[in-house]
Amino acid sequence: MATRMKLKLKTVFVLYFMVSLMGLIYALMQLGQRCDCAEHDMPKDRTISRLRGELHRLQEQMRKAEPTKLPHKLAVKPAQPTIYIITPTYTRFVQKAELTRLAQTFLHVPQLHWILVEDSPHKTPLVSGFLASSGLAYTHLHTPTPRDRKLQEGDPSWLKPRGAEQRNEGLRWLREDRRGQPGADTQLGVVYFADDDNTYSLQLFEEMRGTQRVSVWPVGLVGGMRYERPVVEGGKVVRFHTGWRPSRPFPLDMAGFAVSLKLVIANQDACFDGDAPMGFLESSFLQGLVTMDELEPKAENCTKVLVWHTRTEKPKMKREEALQKQGLGSDTAVECVRQPVLHQACECQRDGVGVFFFFFFLL
Amino acid sequence: MPKRRDILAIVLIVLPWTLLITVWHQSAIAPLLAIRKDDGADRGRREAGQSSDSKEYCSSDKDIVEVVRTEYVYTRPPPWSDGLPTIHIITPTYSRPVQKAELTRLANTFLHVANLHWILVEDSQRRTPLVTRMLRETGLNYTHLNVETPRNYKLRADTRDPRIPRGTMQRNLALRWLRETFNSNSSQAGIVYFADDDNTYSLELFEEMRSTRKVSVWPVAFVGGLRYESPKVNAAGKVYGWKTVFDPHRPFAIDMAGFAINLRLILFKPQAYFKLRGVKGGYQESSLLRELVTLNDLEPKASNCTKILVWHTRTEKPVLVNEGKKGFTDPNVEI
Repeated sequence: MATRMKLKLKTVFVLYFMVSLMGLIYALMQLGQRCDCAEHDMPKDRTISRLRGELHRLQEQMRKAEPTKLPHKLAVKPAQPTIYIITPTYTRFVQKAELTRLAQTFLHVPQLHWILVEDSPHKTPLVSGFLASSGLAYTHLHTPTPRDRKLQEGDPSWLKPRGAEQRNEGLRWLREDRRGQPGADTQLGVVYFADDDNTYSLQLFEEMRGTQRVSVWPVGLVGGMRYERPVVEGGKVVRFHTGWRPSRPFPLDMAGFAVSLKLVIANQDACFDGDAPMGFLESSFLQGLVTMDELEPKAENCTKVLVWHTRTEKPKMKREEALQKQGLGSDTAVECVRQPVLHQACECQRDGVGVFFFFFFLL
Repeated sequence: MPKRRDILAIVLIVLPWTLLITVWHQSAIAPLLAIRKDDGADRGRREAGQSSDSKEYCSSDKDIVEVVRTEYVYTRPPPWSDGLPTIHIITPTYSRPVQKAELTRLANTFLHVANLHWILVEDSQRRTPLVTRMLRETGLNYTHLNVETPRNYKLRADTRDPRIPRGTMQRNLALRWLRETFNSNSSQAGIVYFADDDNTYSLELFEEMRSTRKVSVWPVAFVGGLRYESPKVNAAGKVYGWKTVFDPHRPFAIDMAGFAINLRLILFKPQAYFKLRGVKGGYQESSLLRELVTLNDLEPKASNCTKILVWHTRTEKPVLVNEGKKGFTDPNVEI
């Protein structure tokens, strides 16, 4: 009788062990799979789509109410500071393409004035024609870079600072223009130096609009790193997170700061030093304007990347380019840095079951 | 006594198991039923391996449901007019440092275009959070799909090119999605355009392609080792050749960004896809177009193919030397 009981218990345990082992294996297999969280996501999705629908209905009503030429532009508030964008540009193959997609971004931003300065002794018809049909408020300037400061064919792009003369010309025009229109309201504005090959998100412009002195934010794909950024503690910038020469007075990229118009006008002599050593161009301008603790951090205390220092390839004017564009050239071989795929956090029962099985197995 | 103890032990063991099984049974059966779907009609068109195919099919199935339920019904940003044909833009994309930047400026362009539907297909095993979040924030009308190109694709040594041209599987998946979502009888007018995520498009281009009846073509800048490649148009307004240096005798010597197809034609010829393997350099576009049209049917746009409205720009790979081996910057900050 006792042995039979013992035997039965033994078989039960053996069975138990086998089942929990199988369950563990199954759960482990399931762990890598996608979760089916439909039951959890659906009510959330429904609320989101309902709210989105309401939002769009309201937006459409607003659009119908105000007869504007470009219906997607936001309603212009009279006292909203104007963003003055100073962009140096120069003639090369991709110039029109760069300016085209830049204009497409700027068209979304209300109260924007584009100051485009060509590196040329005279205005080129390409840029003139382009600006006229862009639909933006603009000022077309030009100033040539002196030959000794100009990059020669074959020089690496970082050899000499570029665009200094053009940005200074933009500043000069702005100061002169504001002098001709005195009044507190006309001093309201923000100046941003936007290169024609970078990529800007629309949120960036709203972040910079409230600049009182100089505001700063992270810039992606610059300084040999994924991003460079000011380090913020207690709402103030304490140092800069950069991999290259962090001892510079202002180790940030041209695209990483904006200056209030008031400050630009108050400091008539502040400009870019074309003879500054590599990487010191921004510092040469900002040094006289502001100290580090006066900087205003934007982009959620400098934790979000809203602008990227992209660069466009020079198109190879050789026939072999055709093979490259098919993706059969070096493109597919280069396994670029991949973003870590964050596993979707999901209140999934399947994962819970796996844990359960594991503990039972341990038992 | 021992009998009772044994019974107690057995009960203590069995009880939680029964609870577990009933609970798990409920949740496990439902999704399994959803995944099982008859793929008989498309069996000949299987591009990926078996297991990955069902997974990607599952994800696209979910997408179809999601799109119909939320995006199409409520999201109509930039102006949407019921009279204009919808432009379906098919963009393959893959993860790399400049991906978010490229998609951001592409979205900034698309936000200007009325009646635009963006079909973004990721080359990945599953849809990445970066792209999912970005698409949602733009407010565009979109469909988010994904299919992974097998990385270590091996072929017999005699075949010249060992790799599948980038983006092919993704574009084919998007075509398949279109064929499953729209039927030929529907009156929904649509145009299909293949837009890579690093090119530059002028807004005029989209208005030019909207009037496509079968397949329309136009010049593209910076391709073929030239300032631009373009179709040759005769006085009667018909395309008779290709103004290009690289293999001008291809059936369609045109870049992916240089043509658009009417949706009706795509639905009418459901077997037309981009050829995956054995495609010579420069012939990928031809592999699709020759199944759809002849040279005579092509409609030249952009003022009889004399204006440049799209540029085949390429973005430099960013230098990330200062990241070092371990990575200097916080990987949780998305770029």
